[in-house]
Amino acid sequence: MNPDTLKYTEDHEWIVEQRGLYVIGITEYAVEELGEITFVELPEIGRRLERGEDAAVLESVKAASDVLSPVTGVVAEVNDTLEMEPDLINRDTYGKGWILKLKDVDLEEYEDLMDSRSYRGYLKTVE
Amino acid sequence: MQQTPLFSQYAEHHGRVVDFHGWALPIQFSGIMEEHRQVREAAGIFDCSHMGEFLIRGRDSFAALDRLVIGDLSSLAVNKCRYTTLLHEDGGILDDGVALRLSEEELLLVTNAGALDTVDALLGAQVPSVENLSATLAKIDIQGPLVPRILLEFGFECVRHLGFWVGMRHEWKGLELIVARAGYTGEWGYELFVPAEGAVALWQMLAAHPSVKPCGLGARDTLRMEMGYPLSGQDLTADRTALEAGLDRFIAWDTDFPGKARMEQQRDSQDYQKLVLLRSADKRAPRNGFVLKHEGEEVGVVTSGTFGPTVAYGIGLGYVPCSLATPGVAFEAGPRNMTVQIETAPFYKESTGRKKIEAQQL
Repeated sequence: MNPDTLKYTEDHEWIVEQRGLYVIGITEYAVEELGEITFVELPEIGRRLERGEDAAVLESVKAASDVLSPVTGVVAEVNDTLEMEPDLINRDTYGKGWILKLKDVDLEEYEDLMDSRSYRGYLKTVE
Repeated sequence: MQQTPLFSQYAEHHGRVVDFHGWALPIQFSGIMEEHRQVREAAGIFDCSHMGEFLIRGRDSFAALDRLVIGDLSSLAVNKCRYTTLLHEDGGILDDGVALRLSEEELLLVTNAGALDTVDALLGAQVPSVENLSATLAKIDIQGPLVPRILLEFGFECVRHLGFWVGMRHEWKGLELIVARAGYTGEWGYELFVPAEGAVALWQMLAAHPSVKPCGLGARDTLRMEMGYPLSGQDLTADRTALEAGLDRFIAWDTDFPGKARMEQQRDSQDYQKLVLLRSADKRAPRNGFVLKHEGEEVGVVTSGTFGPTVAYGIGLGYVPCSLATPGVAFEAGPRNMTVQIETAPFYKESTGRKKIEAQQL
């Protein structure tokens, strides 16, 4: 995934449409903050998530952190590999470290999210 | 933020610096998991120069110190170390520390950064002869199974004479060091006290060894938690007594210390909350502040928690009522009601810290 073409939340999730599904992960900034990820709790397939609702839990050596759904939608797929290899997120957060995919998303909410340029601007305000 | 004499060395090893009780210290270098493994399998060095060191001279001063701590440090044999806690007037824990009897007339007390000013004021007021060496002494902890051989390569012949929790002076390049076989990781290791002006040279010498890597506060925390060691200011706080903190074996009941009546009452009634080790059923970790419930009722709190990199499950420390403080008793912890159960100390049982020195190993 090319970080320049993704959409972003203020909570440091990324999301992008790919073949009709919306792939979600966390940004490099979030990965740096969390440190080495040791445990991932994934949502059930078919579960409906509201925007901002807990979609997954990531635990690192340092802390536990919720992944919030960037948009309203229904869980279509989860990245099971993370259960055995949670550090895939550390190694490749924009690729093999994706977390879940949504279908039936609220497109208006999706369009409202930050693009990569806005997100980079936003990062300057939080750093 | 205050900087230790080794601050300039962190950037060379890509250390990420954080504020730790007002000190700019590295939380990690290569990564917490990697540094943790490094100490369990080889050797790691930690900059612990932020810690407090007090030199206490003379028997009257030892006796005065004894009135402030749970232990009887006057009885400590020369070259031996002993763990103890300093107390508030009500018996609550002010700080913990290790005392090393350097000679008949000298005792080195090593304490933490968090309460340093309070400890300095207390000792200054109560102990006739005490010198705060914290600003002039740097401290490098070197820890891991390969450490005795590494220090011998560097000419530290003193390690041949240092059993577990034994320390002595050692001359190195014209500087007077104090070397104590102790540490906070469970692994075989030494705490090296070095005059500040020699700290960088000692650090650089050790860091250049192929089996040594610099380690940060993050790995120090996961390593100590795998051993079930409490952390001053986090697991050991002013609202807890040493008895509550599970430090019974360090209490000299036949001496006088602040809050003794309160602790005797706790001991006799068995009606208090006690610090226990909590093991998660999986890789999820209990975290500081998680409420502990037993059969649906709130009974305690988690004070430390992390994923244990070597044991590979979630681990923590927390306070539960004495009546429930038995290995195997289970609790629900935190907002997601994860299951944790009491484990006997330590979580990690293969550590090398207490191994006896054998000639063939050196």
